[in-house]
Amino acid sequence: MSKIVSFEDLWCVFEHRSGQLVNALQNVNFQVKSGEFVCVVGRSGHGKTTLLRVLAGLQPPTAGRVRLGDEVATGPGADRAMVFQQDTVFPWLHVRENIEFGLRAGKTPREDRERITQHWLAAVGLEDFADSWPRELSGGMRKRVALASAMAVGSDVVLMDEPFGSLDYFTRRNLHDVLLDLWRETQKTIFFVTHDIEEALILADRVILLAEGKLVDDIPVTLPRPRDEDVRASEKAVNITKVILAHLGITEEEATRA
Amino acid sequence: MTTTDVLDVRAKARRDKRKRQSLFILYLTLGIAIFLGVWQVLSVWFPLYFPSPLGAVRHFTDNLMTSEWTRRWFAHANACPALIGSGADIPPYCSGYVLHLLVTTRNILIGAALGTILGLAAGLGSLVFPKIAEVFTPVASFFGTAPIFIAAPFFVIWFGVDVALLTTVGLITFYTTLLMYFFSRRAAENIPVGIIESALTLGGTPRSIFRWVYMPGTVPEIAGGFRIALAGAWGLGVLVEVLGIQRGGGFLIAMWRFGVGLVEWPAAVVALITFFGVLAVIVDGILVVGIRFLTRWAESGRRLGL
Repeated sequence: MSKIVSFEDLWCVFEHRSGQLVNALQNVNFQVKSGEFVCVVGRSGHGKTTLLRVLAGLQPPTAGRVRLGDEVATGPGADRAMVFQQDTVFPWLHVRENIEFGLRAGKTPREDRERITQHWLAAVGLEDFADSWPRELSGGMRKRVALASAMAVGSDVVLMDEPFGSLDYFTRRNLHDVLLDLWRETQKTIFFVTHDIEEALILADRVILLAEGKLVDDIPVTLPRPRDEDVRASEKAVNITKVILAHLGITEEEATRA
Repeated sequence: MTTTDVLDVRAKARRDKRKRQSLFILYLTLGIAIFLGVWQVLSVWFPLYFPSPLGAVRHFTDNLMTSEWTRRWFAHANACPALIGSGADIPPYCSGYVLHLLVTTRNILIGAALGTILGLAAGLGSLVFPKIAEVFTPVASFFGTAPIFIAAPFFVIWFGVDVALLTTVGLITFYTTLLMYFFSRRAAENIPVGIIESALTLGGTPRSIFRWVYMPGTVPEIAGGFRIALAGAWGLGVLVEVLGIQRGGGFLIAMWRFGVGLVEWPAAVVALITFFGVLAVIVDGILVVGIRFLTRWAESGRRLGL
């Protein structure tokens, strides 16, 4: 059963090599309902990835806590599978074995493992590549493998740290569709870090805005789905974009030029 | 592009591949021919130091099964020690090069295998039990900084020249263990942190990460380390025998100091050294085939010569 994810008084302070203290996260408080698609948006170095790593249990907070339902999240675990920005598909395992990894670790019986793996192979359109090595796949296909691996472990919460950042526009758009289909099918809670406002508008129910480690806004994205070009060009979408840009300290003209 | 064009392109790609393979064989043959040619020329100019290639081969085949020279100089030192002092007649083949060379090969391979098992057990085991690294690393670092050839005379003095299994195998095991320990540790350290973190967030336990991440992921570097260790082991094994062991290929090389000045001398020494060179290349070639299979997932494996 899915659980509410709560960030409570979360601080994360790093000590720079020079001895200077850097507040990567400052008193972050918010809750995410089960099944929500949340995009965390902010400039580079403003705490997005740190927030996700704390939630994943890969980075202990300096103060505060993250709760999954009633339980405080501590170390990493299969209940918060993560898709990383960099390529983290195991190159020495076939595509099928990659998707099976979490299931094997969780000692899922072989028959169930095979059935689940086959389901996720089909869901991401890689049935014909089940016995391929990752090196034989394109970047987009490897991201599908990572996505299927994260989905297959059966976690309620999936964390995605700019997973499509290194891909070309067309591949990224295609993967948005794949991800949204999977989300609709599974109703998992998804945390998606991005600095791409358009990507956030396509995907999110909510946009959490971080600036200098602080939560500066929590914007509901109530645009109708699917969010095609017309929806994203609507007045509502443009207004959301303006709010986000203003928080990021960028004018619309600057954003267009960039 | 029409279907015909695609087929043309594929046919051209196949032709190019065959051409590259043919050129590789051509250059290899050319390289060997030039080497043998230079050797032949040198043998004419400096016959005392460079026997002709054919002369070395002839000496090797003449002495392979039974050797007049071994019997002449070392009637008691042969490749059948069990027969010494038994009262039984020592068969002629005990003096031949073949048994000596087999003894050396066996000792080197046993030492390298034992060292690899111990080194990998300590290196990879320390990933699961970090205490192993805390205990083993300082000791291994201390011995690792000393050139291994310094340890060779120590092993000969300590274990003596009679029991080659302790001296030769012991030294090679010691050397390979150190090397494989460091290679396996380094291989594990070189696995990207992102891969380990990904495994953790997928529910990976220390055991499953060891089995499905560290074990396969470290193969390329460990295999490379094993090739280096084995290449060194050939030299080390022969060196220990040269220092005083009474059997093996190194012993045969050392024995030929009694033949300095004889016409046969350069051919004998060069033949024996060449044998180990060729053997090492053959064993390495077999290893490369095995490593290519184990690292077939790695794109760069073939490019790196693995």
